[in-house]
Amino acid sequence: MSDDPISFLPLSPATLHILLSLAAGDRHGYGIMQEVARQSEGQYKLGPGTLYDNLQKLMNQGLVESAPPPSGDDDPRRRYYRLTPAGRSVLSAEIARLESVVREARLHLRIESPGGAV
Amino acid sequence: MTRVLYRWLLWLHPPAFRREFAGEMLWIFEEAAPEGVAPLFADGLLSLLRQWLLRSPPWKLAAAVIGGVVEVTAGGLGGLLFMHAHMSARLAAAPLKPPATPADLLAMDNFMHLVMWVAAGLVLMVAALVSWVRSLNGRRLDRLAAGPRPIRDGGSGGPGALRAGGVGARAVTGGKSSVGTGAKTGATEIIHA
Repeated sequence: MSDDPISFLPLSPATLHILLSLAAGDRHGYGIMQEVARQSEGQYKLGPGTLYDNLQKLMNQGLVESAPPPSGDDDPRRRYYRLTPAGRSVLSAEIARLESVVREARLHLRIESPGGAV
Repeated sequence: MTRVLYRWLLWLHPPAFRREFAGEMLWIFEEAAPEGVAPLFADGLLSLLRQWLLRSPPWKLAAAVIGGVVEVTAGGLGGLLFMHAHMSARLAAAPLKPPATPADLLAMDNFMHLVMWVAAGLVLMVAALVSWVRSLNGRRLDRLAAGPRPIRDGGSGGPGALRAGGVGARAVTGGKSSVGTGAKTGATEIIHA
């Protein structure tokens, strides 16, 4: 397992959304799906198969781990997940990369746009 | 009914994945079913294919494909035997007398065409299987020769969005590899060490 967050980039959209949804706090699978839909304003919807395929991969990579359920949630079917420090580093690195992409895209669009507006 | 079907779909997943996540997936299905089950089934089918084709060790898939080929072959041979018996009985009931009637000639012609197509199909199927298994083994050997990889693959990019190459593109030159992100383009640049 590489320790360098850069080696995990670029993240796939599903991976990025899952890590983002877990950045705010521990969530169970359905909570992650709902948070991803909320973040993308309904444009990106994860199915359970895609979600758990990515969660399995992220857990194997040490970016996500199981978390104890919060007090009051005793439904054994719900399993909670959380970001590891490594996962948070990878997410930060991806956000920095995306910021660079957006900055560059804005620059090019401004140059190539007929009116000069973005 | 749909719950039973979805449960059956989950049951078809590889055992390791099923043991770890099937319970949660079924729970999510129950929660999300009122919004429509069609996307859930589509996602389940994609997941099934992804788990077997991309996430399982190749030998399991190879064994499954070989089993499928054996079944198809047995079915094809069974069909041929049936056709042969059918045609024999028909020819025996109405033996050919020179000159053969146009209907008999047509039936024989159809039979020969069927035999040729089935044989060609079987040969193509076996050739494709052999080629595929060899390419899988070749890729595996390449990976072993390249040394340990920290990341197995990149996963899927979303429902139906399968991505080759993993989360990080990697180039190996002279036994060294390096991956970085281009500051200007934002794309992954591959640095040959």
